[in-house]
Amino acid sequence: MERQIKPIYEALDTGSNKAAIVACNKLLKKHPKNELIKALKALALVRSQKVEESLVLCDEVLAAKPTDDGVLTALMHVLRGLGRYKDMVTMFEEAYKQQPTNEELAAQTFFANARILNWKAAQQVATRMHKQFQEDRYIYWGVISAILQANDSMTAPNMRTLLYKLAHRLVTSSPTPSYVHADRFHLHLTILRELELFDEARTLLESDVGKNICSSSLACNELRRDIWRRQGLLKDEGAQAEVRITEQNDRNWLEFLSVLDATFSSLVSSAEPDEAAKTECTLQVAKTQELLAKLAEQDGPRDRSGLLALLELEKRARFHGISNDTDRLVDLMKRYFQEIGDKACCYEDLKPYLALEGEDATKWMSYLQSLTPSFTSTNDLRRLINSHKLLRQSLSADDLTLSAESDRAALYTQQYLEGLKLGASLAPTELQPADDLAILAGNVFVSLWKISSDEKYLYNAAALLEFALTKSKQSFQTRLMLIRIYRLLGAPAAALEHYRFLQIKQVEHDTLSHSVLSRASTFSLAASGDLTFITECLEASHIYISNMQETGEYIARAFNGEKYSQIPEFIIFEDRLENSLQRDLVKIEHLRMRLTHEAISSDIIDMELIELKFVFERLHRDNRDFEILPDYQPRSSQKFNEQTLLFGKSEGSGWLRAYLKVYIRALQQGSDLDDIVEEKLLIGDRPKQTTPESKLTFKNRLRERTAEESNELTSDELAFVDYATALANWLEPYHDHARPPPSVVLAEAAKQTELKTGHPLKGVEIPPKNGNGSTNGSVKKDEETPPITDAPELVLRHFDDMKTRFEAVKDSASPSLTLHVATLIQEAFLLFVVETLRFKTPSVVKVHKLGALVQQFKPIRTNALAVLREVSSTLVKRSERDATAEQRKLFVDACSPITALNIDHDFVLGVAKKMTDARKKVTEGVGKGITRLCTSYH
Amino acid sequence: MSVLRPFTASDLFRFNNVNLDLFTQTYANGFYLNYLSRWPDLCCAQTAPSGRMMGYILGKAEGNQQDWHGHITVLTVAPEYRRLGLASKLIALLERVSDETYRGFFVDLYVRCTNDVAIAMYEELGYSVYRRVREYYDSLGGTRGRDEEDAFDMRKPLSRDAGRRSVRANGREMLVSRFEVS
Repeated sequence: MERQIKPIYEALDTGSNKAAIVACNKLLKKHPKNELIKALKALALVRSQKVEESLVLCDEVLAAKPTDDGVLTALMHVLRGLGRYKDMVTMFEEAYKQQPTNEELAAQTFFANARILNWKAAQQVATRMHKQFQEDRYIYWGVISAILQANDSMTAPNMRTLLYKLAHRLVTSSPTPSYVHADRFHLHLTILRELELFDEARTLLESDVGKNICSSSLACNELRRDIWRRQGLLKDEGAQAEVRITEQNDRNWLEFLSVLDATFSSLVSSAEPDEAAKTECTLQVAKTQELLAKLAEQDGPRDRSGLLALLELEKRARFHGISNDTDRLVDLMKRYFQEIGDKACCYEDLKPYLALEGEDATKWMSYLQSLTPSFTSTNDLRRLINSHKLLRQSLSADDLTLSAESDRAALYTQQYLEGLKLGASLAPTELQPADDLAILAGNVFVSLWKISSDEKYLYNAAALLEFALTKSKQSFQTRLMLIRIYRLLGAPAAALEHYRFLQIKQVEHDTLSHSVLSRASTFSLAASGDLTFITECLEASHIYISNMQETGEYIARAFNGEKYSQIPEFIIFEDRLENSLQRDLVKIEHLRMRLTHEAISSDIIDMELIELKFVFERLHRDNRDFEILPDYQPRSSQKFNEQTLLFGKSEGSGWLRAYLKVYIRALQQGSDLDDIVEEKLLIGDRPKQTTPESKLTFKNRLRERTAEESNELTSDELAFVDYATALANWLEPYHDHARPPPSVVLAEAAKQTELKTGHPLKGVEIPPKNGNGSTNGSVKKDEETPPITDAPELVLRHFDDMKTRFEAVKDSASPSLTLHVATLIQEAFLLFVVETLRFKTPSVVKVHKLGALVQQFKPIRTNALAVLREVSSTLVKRSERDATAEQRKLFVDACSPITALNIDHDFVLGVAKKMTDARKKVTEGVGKGITRLCTSYH
Repeated sequence: MSVLRPFTASDLFRFNNVNLDLFTQTYANGFYLNYLSRWPDLCCAQTAPSGRMMGYILGKAEGNQQDWHGHITVLTVAPEYRRLGLASKLIALLERVSDETYRGFFVDLYVRCTNDVAIAMYEELGYSVYRRVREYYDSLGGTRGRDEEDAFDMRKPLSRDAGRRSVRANGREMLVSRFEVS
């Protein structure tokens, strides 16, 4: 038998699912009852997307309550593929019940519970395992299960304490002390910290073993430090930190923070410290100052801890009003700049201290201005760059005039070109030391654009940064800036080119795909068959599937290896990806593009509806990385990120919820799947709901709109959402009336399944035909048709209003806004198609007496189509104008500030061509796509 | 100067400024989770006081008997934080844990034979070439031919290897195929 089954495994391992199915079928003829073959076939089926057939087989084997290792493993993969994690628990529980001495089965049962975060059950399994197998580690499995249950946001506070107490009891019941193992020790300390059993914690930590563990385990030492702090042992901790710094040469900044905290402990401990406390603290400050000054002297530029700690000390002393030297802060800053100014990190280091006022500010600024630029070495160059960054950070709003900023742009550009000479001999894979000057100039050009609203400054930014990339191909910061700028300029293809160069992969998709996918449907050419952005959405979404499938594995591994410190971290990580905001922003963009590309049908409507309803129940986590954008704008101004957001608005969870509500309502109305049907047809577990419980019904939650939602929408999006809401409110009663009853929908689904798999649909009874007017799937209800009302004003007016709006923006310099309005008109029309699809079937209209309603659709549709045709032809005309020699000349002429500094004219012309070509491509493509849609839905 | 702390799974959401660098690979999540689920104490990060990631090291413990050792798999520092001695502090931590916690005989690492800067740094920290592994890396398309694809396996003995048996003087001449190494 084993010999015969081997080829099936091989086929599965190499992804030849078809071959595996054939091999299974052959063997099943001889051994029709063999569970392993059936399980393997179910696996091959689920991997070939034949879900219904796989389900049947899987359920068949499950019903026999298998205990064989091979069968269980195969089924485990099948259930994972089907998203049936709860059934996995039942399967292993059943097997474990039959073989209570099988340790592997016990562990699998534990992991299956862990997988669905059912920590209560997991803890019970662990207890049983410890009784049976007498291994200490199962005590700890129980301990961490209790802790994780306690940490669950659904657990009540008093329950939380009880669970921690249980965990504590379990730890102390262990025959071997927790310190035999750093991760057990860590777990033990976590419990003691939570229960505030500080004396017990100290006994452990002050033992030799405890000290030893903390000296080599950063994680345990972190906990120790926290416990000391919570106990108010700041002085003690400070003294220890001082020893570590002076004797062990430890330069971990955390140690310095401990010294600083200790210094000010006499002031922090009471709300209103008296004079005695202040005097004591002043003495302490002097002592710490001496210590740090000595360290700074001794370390020199090799390590900047001492110097930076001196700065922090002075800042805190000022905060507490006990600084005795008004010059010291600025003097220390100057000293820091003198010693560390030639390191790239100097600016970041000094940033927290730059908020100076009055005389301090004047002194600091005049010091920086007094420095003479030098280009003799890269150290000098870095010093120059740091001085610019520091100066710029402190500019006031008054300093940001058009002429002053223009002078700065010219200065940075000119110095950039000068600085390039220093890196002339570097390998092409290296970064140029002068890069940051170009980035600074790019920041200034963007600021100029913001001040003047004149697009020519963005041309300069684009041309200069493109030039910088020819010298420093690997500068991802330069590319990220260009991506933003090209999107503002309505040249998405140019933005995408830079994005691709970054080779974003794996988890980076979650944190960085926003750079090109935010509101990407504005630039999508999917309607005319170009799937670039759709593909980009799909690629960016792979990471979420692998997270769901894999992260649980590593949680199990961490249990097996007893790395308890990692388990809560992995769970947080998995949760952050699973409920990622970016994931679902991409989901919505994908849907918006999909509807322009695929024919709108009930299949799409049903599938998208179910997914969006899941998404709606998630509490989203924002993992997007905006910090990565180089930002050298003054404190007094907007940050570069905010300045360069498309349409000036960032999509957050408010935006997402507004769009989810629009689409869920429209799809729900267009779909035959009501809650009863969905419950029956759903395969796999319902995802864990992470949004807080609401008192409102689902229906009312969809109708509610918050200020957060409205604020995150652009004015045009808001108009779209208002229109969509009015449309949905109007049509809801008619959809509810005409939707076939669940029994009919289920019967149809059962019929389809049986046709496909040869088996009836599980749990669905097909009602006998009762001749109740079943023609073409439209079933007459006994209720009266709701009275037909007139179309709301908002719906009737929408397309005309948007036409006026389009007229106003059609000639705006960048096509981005033009496309924004155009694609929103298109979207409003497609939503109308979704909402009226049901009433396209004449029998539905006839049976339900909806003629008077349907008559009202026609003028709306006709008007929408007319508006869209006009939008389309305007866009196509615009596209011809966008890529002419004249436009390119305009671009090049606008770049005189940088061509005057010897950036090659032809190079700038090349950038001009790239931008204008990209503009033409997108305006033309969107325009033609709209025409295509008009034809399809004529 | 920096905050030295354990590398955690959620650091994957904030390591972009380190990983977008050409020489730093971003692996599948499983790669990082595997290291963390097995050798969390050999994975550590350095951050600026602001919380910004500066660099990190990922290591493992492997080998049998006399070959039991710590291995540096990934060591990387963001471009803006180079030349601050961060790498040597990360290595020092990994060496200490390999020595005290794992009781390994040595620590080793692989480096491209053309990476002169890194090799010099490792030598200064007490590492020496143990052997040269042929075609360990993909070519970068540069001009130094074989040196670019070959790796040096560099080692530094720990306290347990008092006799310094894990290192040798003529390591650069010891050629092995990449299939012979783990």
